[in-house]
Amino acid sequence: MTTLRAFTCDDLFRFNNINLDPLTETYGIPFYLQYLAHWPEYFIVAEAPGGELMGYIMGKAEGSVAREEWHGHVTALSVAPEFRRLGLAAKLMELLEEISEKKGGFFVDLFVRVSNQVAVNMYKQLGYSVYRTVLEYYSASSGEPDEDAYGKFVFSLKLNGTILMLRIPGLVCKTIIIFLAYETGSDSCRLMGFMYPPLDNFSYLRLYQL
Amino acid sequence: GEHRDYLDNGNNKMAIQQADKLLKKHKDLHCAKVLKAIGLQRTGKQDEAYALAQEVAALEPTDDNSLQALTILYREMHRPELVTKLYEAAVKKVPNSEEYHSHLFMAYARVGEYKKMQQAGMALYKIVPKNPYYFWSVMSLIMQSISAQDENLSKTMFLPLAERMVEKMVKEDKIEAEAEVELYYMILERLEKYKEALDVVRGKLGEKLTSELQSRENKCMAMYKKLHRWPECNALARRLLLKNSDDWQFYITYFDSVFQLIDESWTPPAEEEHSLEGEVHCSIEQAVNFIEERIAGESRSSRPLRGPFLAKLELIRRLRHRGCNDEYKLGDPEELMFQYFKKFGDKPCCFTDLKVFVDLLPPSQYTKFIQQLLDIIPLVAAAEDEVALPGDIKALQQHLCVVQLSRLLGIYHTMDKKQKLAVVRELMLRYRHGLEFGKSCLKTELQFSDYYCLLAVHLLLDLWLEGEEAAVWQCLTLLEEGLSHSPSNAQFKLLLIRIYCRLGAFEPVSELYSSLDAKHIQHDTIGYLLTRYASSLGHYAAASQSCNFALRFFHSNQKDTSEYIIQAYKYGAFEKIPEFIAFRNRLNSSLHFAQVRTERMLLDLLLENWEWAKRGLGEDISEEHRKLSLEEETLWLRIRSLTLRLVSGLPTLAHTIQPKNSEKTAENGVSSKIDTIRALLQQLEAAVDSGKKFLEQKIQYPVLGPPPTRMAGFFSNGSCQCQTSLFYLVSDIYELDTNGLGKCLGQGFSFFFSDLFNKCKGDLIEVRDGTLKTHPNLLENLVFFVETISIALWVSSYCDSVLRPFKSNLQKKKKKKKESSVAMPPVFTHFLDYVTELQTLTSNVIDHIKGLEIILTALKLEELSLKDTLLLQEEKKFTKTVQGKVQSSYHHSVQEIGELLKKRLDTIKKLKI
Repeated sequence: MTTLRAFTCDDLFRFNNINLDPLTETYGIPFYLQYLAHWPEYFIVAEAPGGELMGYIMGKAEGSVAREEWHGHVTALSVAPEFRRLGLAAKLMELLEEISEKKGGFFVDLFVRVSNQVAVNMYKQLGYSVYRTVLEYYSASSGEPDEDAYGKFVFSLKLNGTILMLRIPGLVCKTIIIFLAYETGSDSCRLMGFMYPPLDNFSYLRLYQL
Repeated sequence: GEHRDYLDNGNNKMAIQQADKLLKKHKDLHCAKVLKAIGLQRTGKQDEAYALAQEVAALEPTDDNSLQALTILYREMHRPELVTKLYEAAVKKVPNSEEYHSHLFMAYARVGEYKKMQQAGMALYKIVPKNPYYFWSVMSLIMQSISAQDENLSKTMFLPLAERMVEKMVKEDKIEAEAEVELYYMILERLEKYKEALDVVRGKLGEKLTSELQSRENKCMAMYKKLHRWPECNALARRLLLKNSDDWQFYITYFDSVFQLIDESWTPPAEEEHSLEGEVHCSIEQAVNFIEERIAGESRSSRPLRGPFLAKLELIRRLRHRGCNDEYKLGDPEELMFQYFKKFGDKPCCFTDLKVFVDLLPPSQYTKFIQQLLDIIPLVAAAEDEVALPGDIKALQQHLCVVQLSRLLGIYHTMDKKQKLAVVRELMLRYRHGLEFGKSCLKTELQFSDYYCLLAVHLLLDLWLEGEEAAVWQCLTLLEEGLSHSPSNAQFKLLLIRIYCRLGAFEPVSELYSSLDAKHIQHDTIGYLLTRYASSLGHYAAASQSCNFALRFFHSNQKDTSEYIIQAYKYGAFEKIPEFIAFRNRLNSSLHFAQVRTERMLLDLLLENWEWAKRGLGEDISEEHRKLSLEEETLWLRIRSLTLRLVSGLPTLAHTIQPKNSEKTAENGVSSKIDTIRALLQQLEAAVDSGKKFLEQKIQYPVLGPPPTRMAGFFSNGSCQCQTSLFYLVSDIYELDTNGLGKCLGQGFSFFFSDLFNKCKGDLIEVRDGTLKTHPNLLENLVFFVETISIALWVSSYCDSVLRPFKSNLQKKKKKKKESSVAMPPVFTHFLDYVTELQTLTSNVIDHIKGLEIILTALKLEELSLKDTLLLQEEKKFTKTVQGKVQSSYHHSVQEIGELLKKRLDTIKKLKI
């Protein structure tokens, strides 16, 4: 029993029950506004009949429009404690995948902390595979898009980083590829540069042939 | 080039040097000048930076580099309006530049110049006929209509114009993007042309609405509702429920429409389709069948759906409201809720779901209902007389649901103290037993049995409010214990924060709050927990810090939102633009923001080593409580901001003594300043009156409801009377020259002050019957005392500045006349007496505080025999921690207050003329 609807600014005043969870980041206002301005359809909230916010998903389309190569990305997915174990996260993922596919996204990917085993297992159940492990992705907490553009590089080899998982519609991943890498940037823009450098020979076509 | 890199790397000095080098070679290199200006701005030389920038701007540059650099500079200067001037000049010189025109549009957007945006959009479209430019212009018309003061103007001019602009494109078949259709819909909706809006959505153009989920359906539904087209509402809701029988909003619409149709005696047409959206249900029988079908269908769903079952309860409620239930045999709500519990009782949300429908249960059945639920939970007792415990997480979850329902239905409410304590013990036993199931839980996860602990604490809070002093310590003990097992539980932390604050102990709160990792918007939504108590409990440093965090957030809001309004134009998210603006306004008009602003300034004045005297002369709250609290907060804010304005108005009262009967006072503008002070004083009196009237209602907020303001204390401890009389003194002293040197310095002050002091006396913590009793109100009174003494000093500084020149004036006269007959007016002696009294009083309070410190240090809480022998060893440990924290916090408060008072004492000593 849930009302699913578009997330609006006013929900920011009411999402504490979801966001006071230690694994859910509360971003700066610009971060939310950027998503609402650019990818409003990827930002969905679930509401209970009593009016409580149950959970939300926030995502975007990533990649290059010019090369017609883009995919969906899940930035945040969180469900309040008392509304867990209802399959709500799966439902929200389903909706985002549907939107991404409708928009011509090749696949959907997301980052998750290695330590967040509950989430890792859920994503695996939803058909996601570990693509590679990124280190220190969550090291900066502000989450503002162009925060600290003059970044200080702190190389670290700690293994408790973050893993990138992805799911390609209609394809069951048999091989799980895990790349260990140094990741230092704090914002996703820098990370994008890192994820898809030309040297990587990474292409959407190859992904399909995995 | 190189200097730009320096700037990017934050090396502003090198950037300035590089720019200087370049400028030596090429004197008129605009861009270098601007880069230098950026360097200057960032090193704090705003004036030089501005001058240099204006030099370049005056030349009306048209090169990209200069324009971009100036834009960056103006943005850093928080002067976005200068960017518009820059590009206005640029497009004049290069009238065909698409780029400059679009920069100009965005510059207008940043400052909200809607009319100019409309023109800039059209100018752009004329140069490059791209659709987005045209629709930017249309959107700017909508913004003009939103911001228009005159609603008529908005409905008769701006919106119709916007509509015609879109219609033109429709006729020419030029509509390309989804965003353009959205915009069209927005215009029609705002014009209340719902029929037309519906036609757009359902027509060819509507096919473009694909991005959002069910975008077309949602828009149609909204229009059907506006048009009261219940058949369509019903048919569409029905269809959407067939697709997803768990979406609550459509059940609501479905029921609403069925009953509307019944009331209208609507009947379906014999031949044609029922409605545009297909089959319509217009009788109770159909609705009942429909819900039963959804329930039957649920069993075929891959995951259990709660919607159909709850919809049935909702239908029963609606039928009952209409006075017809039994005939439709939907079943007994009690039985249905029991069945629901059987199916979903092991889900944590079961309680939240059933909560909505408990009003369907007759109160006489509560106990029976609870027992019925309890009976089906598999609980096992180890021995005959022991508590039966759940064997797995599912059973535990079910039991928790029943316990929560018991609380909701008031089962515990009627119990006496002994029974309540027995329940607390049982809940804690269950809590500790339940920890077994969560042994593998990570630190970031909650324990399954946390709710037992929370409920035990709530029962104890009830006992505390009934006067059971020991209960509050047990609350804290249990919460600290709970937190040690479940370190991420935000409920535990928030409760601890509220209770510690109620006890007047702020020190532990900082750490708890920071472990919540609250930031950004949460400064507004929960930040008040800190700012309400930090300064009022004498934790001035913490108060400053939390105010600063909050203010930084609120101040960045303005700048941040503008940026994303522009992005929304770029990406065609038109419906988000008014939403962002409303959001910005909501944050700007936040009551919390206004309070923090006022309190921060008062705090600054209070903590400052002020020299200006000389320089200047040179959880579930009921709607009712929510409303009352808002009213109280607003009244209190009014009093505080008037106090702030009065205090900060003092240094503006530059007072030169005029000869007696001078007519000049009115011309030199000074009198207008005193008039302002007097007007403010009158407003303060009025605000105080309304505050007092409000408090006559003697509102008791629930303990976890909104925290009450400090207003009650302000009135009852005498600081209100003290402060207003002090401000009257300013007004009186001012009259000195015209009314003669009467008895300006009333005798009342020392009385008011000693009364205030009396309200501060007493021990902060005392041991009574083996339990600790705290008196946090003494702490709040002390803080008010410090504030009032400070105001007394500001006022005295002002008096001093008036009296001192006056005295020397008189003394000169005396010398000239060489007569002893010119007696010194008594005002000087009065003033001296008054200052001496202030000094004595302050010294006394400082001594009192020293005494408090000694007592607090000497208080050996470890020796406090924890009388409740029922306490477990584990609990005793936490009780000691808790009591230690409160003791340490009081110590901290008293120290900060004492330090501040000592500073004040030093200032008083300087005041004697």
